[in-house]
Amino acid sequence: MAVWLDVARAAAGVNVLLLVALGSVWLRNYRRHGAAHTLGLLVFGGFLLVENLLWLYYYVLHPDFVGWFVNAGTDVQVGMTFLCGLELVALVFLARITWQ
Amino acid sequence: MDGVLWYVLASSRGGPTRVRIVRALDQRPRNANELAEELDLDYTTIRHHLDVLGDNNVVKQSADEYGAVYLFTDQTKANWTTVEEILDTVEADAEEEE
Repeated sequence: MAVWLDVARAAAGVNVLLLVALGSVWLRNYRRHGAAHTLGLLVFGGFLLVENLLWLYYYVLHPDFVGWFVNAGTDVQVGMTFLCGLELVALVFLARITWQ
Repeated sequence: MDGVLWYVLASSRGGPTRVRIVRALDQRPRNANELAEELDLDYTTIRHHLDVLGDNNVVKQSADEYGAVYLFTDQTKANWTTVEEILDTVEADAEEEE
């Protein structure tokens, strides 16, 4: 089922966009007042960004990984997709309160 | 409460503006109109930030009527050292806003 691959790709892609947007707010605020709390969010967001870029690389540009994914059972596909999908839900929530 | 205060005042997009509001309210209780005038901001902008501060239990309205002044909640007063720390950290130069 290639549909799970598409969902996983989309989730990882949106995660990257959200993290860049969140990171830009946190970076601006950190440079302005250097609060440790903001720095914490920035570090946290930075590592999540690296993680999601790695996911995107595997999901989009790595033929061996994509081949393995497509041939894996539905349980594996759904589980893998959930890793990025649940993170997306968490980031959307964070974006909502950050944008207020 | 500490985390909420840091997030709402220092790490979110409207943080600096909300710090200015908290400073103004610390001088004396004011209503939304007086805050808009004092901080030279749009009334709707002030209302938006007061709503966010209210949703996060930082401020409350003294009464339900129109023009009622805003006060700090007991919770905010109990955490006032944290608020002071945030105010000292965030030197809110006016800026941006939606």
